[in-house]
Amino acid sequence: MSILTDLRIAAVGDIHLGEDGRGHYRRKLQGIEERADVFMLAGDLTRHGTLEEGKVVADELRDLPIPAVAVLGNHDYHSDMEHEIAEELRDAGVIVLDDDGVVLQCGDMKLGVVGGKGFGGGFAGKCASEFGEREIKNFVAHTRSIAEAWKLALKEIVADERVVLSHYSPIKETLEGEPAEIYPFLGSYLLAEAVDTAGADLILHGHAHKGSPKGMTPGGIRVRNVALPVLGRAYGVYCLDCENGS
Amino acid sequence: MEAPQYVAARVQQALAEDGRTNELGIRVDIRGDQLFLRGQVSEVEQRTRLGQVAHETAPELRLHNEINVVDATEPGEDEHLD
Repeated sequence: MSILTDLRIAAVGDIHLGEDGRGHYRRKLQGIEERADVFMLAGDLTRHGTLEEGKVVADELRDLPIPAVAVLGNHDYHSDMEHEIAEELRDAGVIVLDDDGVVLQCGDMKLGVVGGKGFGGGFAGKCASEFGEREIKNFVAHTRSIAEAWKLALKEIVADERVVLSHYSPIKETLEGEPAEIYPFLGSYLLAEAVDTAGADLILHGHAHKGSPKGMTPGGIRVRNVALPVLGRAYGVYCLDCENGS
Repeated sequence: MEAPQYVAARVQQALAEDGRTNELGIRVDIRGDQLFLRGQVSEVEQRTRLGQVAHETAPELRLHNEINVVDATEPGEDEHLD
């Protein structure tokens, strides 16, 4: 006999809280525990990546009634305070992924989450490669090392369902609406290739404010762009059907 | 006279790099002596700041701040992935 249960994931990216957001954001999350089992934040939590903004985000997310998992985005790196911001968030009870993974117990289910900021480079056939100037090689190598870390983390994780949380996009489809010329700065197919190789049930990303909500990897893994302007609501809720065999 | 494309590019860079705004996704168009800003932000104050930075960067142009403010407070419908 098997019992079908839903694992409900609330997700949003690009909330971009500034210091004037203090005390305002939390009310949007009121009642989230009735709608979801876990809350995921797909980066760009701050506007300029300052420590003060990081503290605002941490306070707004502090001790939520459901587990919160976050990755940082490019804005959160802008002031070179990404490690300090991550520490503030961790002190507030938020799990911050940095190209690693975590397993959460949600009722009877084990949910594995792997992810990090991700990075750019472009998409198969129209992408940068590790050739030429050192700056270009470093750019591509950064994405490649991130993809490799995700692949290893996904392979190591033992869970009923596996979700990848990123800021940058792994596919082009969810970028549709953005100018095609900037796709290489919005994501990389190397991220999708890594996840397709290791396997996952869902990929969530942000970053592309003018992009599209839904897509899938070449391997058939569903991808959702949860950037706040794309969602047009406080957060999306994604329910994974879990077969709880016995 | 400087080509409008370069002025628009400079305004867009300013909106992205100025510490008051750091907003990357704003479209900047120039037609004659008019400067148009379009896009979406989540706060009225951010829209105002974007207008200020754009005006300071190209004070000779007449500014039309057409940025939308979308304040999403409610969660939407659940999506079932089966």
